[in-house]
Amino acid sequence: MDKADELVGVTEGVAAVPHPDPPVRRIRPWPPGARPRPWPPGAVPRPWPLGAALTVAAVLLLVGTPWLNHPAVQAWRTVCLAITVQALPFLLLGTALSGAINAFVPADLFTRVLPKRPALAVPVAGVAGAVLPGCECASVPVASSLIRRGVTPAAAFAFLLSAPAINPVVLTATAVAFPGDPAMVAARLLASLATAAVMGWLWLWLGKETWLRPLPRHRHSGHRHGHSRRTEFRLGFQHDFLHAGGFLVVGAMAAATFDVTVPGSVLDAFSGSPWLSVLFLAVLAVLLAVCSEADAFVAASLTGFSPTARLAFLVVGPMVDLKLIALQAGTFGRAFAWRFSTATTVVAVTASVLISGALL
Amino acid sequence: MKRPLQALLLALTGTGLLHTALLTDTYLRYVKAGLRPALIVSGAVLLLLGLAAAITRDRRHTADDTGHGHDHSGTPRVAWLLFLPALSLLLHPPPALGAYTAARADTKPVAVQKGFAPLPATSPLPLTLTDFTKRVQQDRGRAVEHRTVRLTGFVTPAGGGDGWYLTRIVFSCCAADSQTVKVRVYGSGAPPADTWLEVTGTWHPHGTLGTRTAEAALDARGVRPVAPPVNAYTDDLPLRPSQEG
Repeated sequence: MDKADELVGVTEGVAAVPHPDPPVRRIRPWPPGARPRPWPPGAVPRPWPLGAALTVAAVLLLVGTPWLNHPAVQAWRTVCLAITVQALPFLLLGTALSGAINAFVPADLFTRVLPKRPALAVPVAGVAGAVLPGCECASVPVASSLIRRGVTPAAAFAFLLSAPAINPVVLTATAVAFPGDPAMVAARLLASLATAAVMGWLWLWLGKETWLRPLPRHRHSGHRHGHSRRTEFRLGFQHDFLHAGGFLVVGAMAAATFDVTVPGSVLDAFSGSPWLSVLFLAVLAVLLAVCSEADAFVAASLTGFSPTARLAFLVVGPMVDLKLIALQAGTFGRAFAWRFSTATTVVAVTASVLISGALL
Repeated sequence: MKRPLQALLLALTGTGLLHTALLTDTYLRYVKAGLRPALIVSGAVLLLLGLAAAITRDRRHTADDTGHGHDHSGTPRVAWLLFLPALSLLLHPPPALGAYTAARADTKPVAVQKGFAPLPATSPLPLTLTDFTKRVQQDRGRAVEHRTVRLTGFVTPAGGGDGWYLTRIVFSCCAADSQTVKVRVYGSGAPPADTWLEVTGTWHPHGTLGTRTAEAALDARGVRPVAPPVNAYTDDLPLRPSQEG
């Protein structure tokens, strides 16, 4: 986290040692405008990142130590590192699955297994999300490789949304966090499935392929002349992991910043109003970026809030949060990520309110 | 990002994970203990991947040049950010969450418990902060009245008024979902924040014992500094590193 700490203590750092790079540049990993095509053919990385990284590291090691040990900065680093470390195994699992799908699964398998009509493929893919154990970081690379393998994007997105919310690990955690309240588990399952299916259908109805960054289908998909499948797998794996890992760090930094700067007492201000509290917990789920295996425990602790609001927290959290938005922006492009995340939040809140009206 | 750097980044991230989860127990500052095997496997996989990338580089270059010159070498710059957690884990791991976080957090609501077993006769009686709070606020039998208990936690200064808080931070998955358990301590000067202490004392009478009005608070008789327990991120009775000699 050393370089990132510079962001928090930017004034001290700059005051102590005049830095060749303007501090703002370190916030953006790339200059604006360069982003939509992150790997143009034959791109040569510009020299500044290495220089900047080494300078920042040197500055931190030599003069940065006092403010690096400020309690707020330490808490920020701890939370940021915690989110990253916690997510890395799941990201690795997702990337490995995605790499395996690319390298070993025949191209037409999914198109044969899924129903031909996209409108039917969407709910099937949503239910299939139950087989991917783990939290949300794993599902983004897998959904991306499904699209590369010819699965209709609507079905892949339904899978992307449902997988982190309805897999057995997460549902068990929910049952443990809400003892004696099986309705909460059922409501979470139904509301998440409904949201995933509605989002898939919404994409069929309104979605435009142009919002998606063109997925490089020919890149490391399938067997290719001159490469063994193993090499193919390893290279795809390496590329996807580094790519997604960078975005994971962006998301973790954003969530840690929220975690450290906003005091817990803000919660109380919103728990009184039934409608505001639903919206507030939905937004909180986005900002906190808690792993979907743990969010039930956080929801259980928000005792001042109505069951509806807590359900909204559980449904929105695994589908939209800061690190997921960062991961999706990296994988599918920014134009897609903000539209998709906004729509998902609205649909998820609606589904939570409706389902909790029926069940809770 | 150039290919040798990608190999370095993978190997560093892997080494970082192995360092934190296999060689030391610093991973407990960030994630739950159950994640350890996953972290070790991930670290090993990343390290091997990095080594494989470094070794097979030369062969790959010739393959690249003959046809697909653009492919995997074009990792976007955002991947640079992965150096931060890797180097942070290896060179300067941040400490576990402490008084800064606890002071800004609300107290974790204590679950409602129906029946209470009689307390053991040991004195002073070791209790967790959660159990103590439950006994004070929920036990109609008032078993904790006049009992000397021993609580362990770290110091969080109280904003206003008398006393300070004895605190534990607990999380269920990683430090991002941390929650705080606090017991107010009276009758002893506030030690520096984040000091780990063992506090012996009796319930501080405030409100009606056995109801919600009772304050989870302690009149300290004795305060003894202790080493941070291994399981700092739980509210369990402290596990100590085994004594030598």
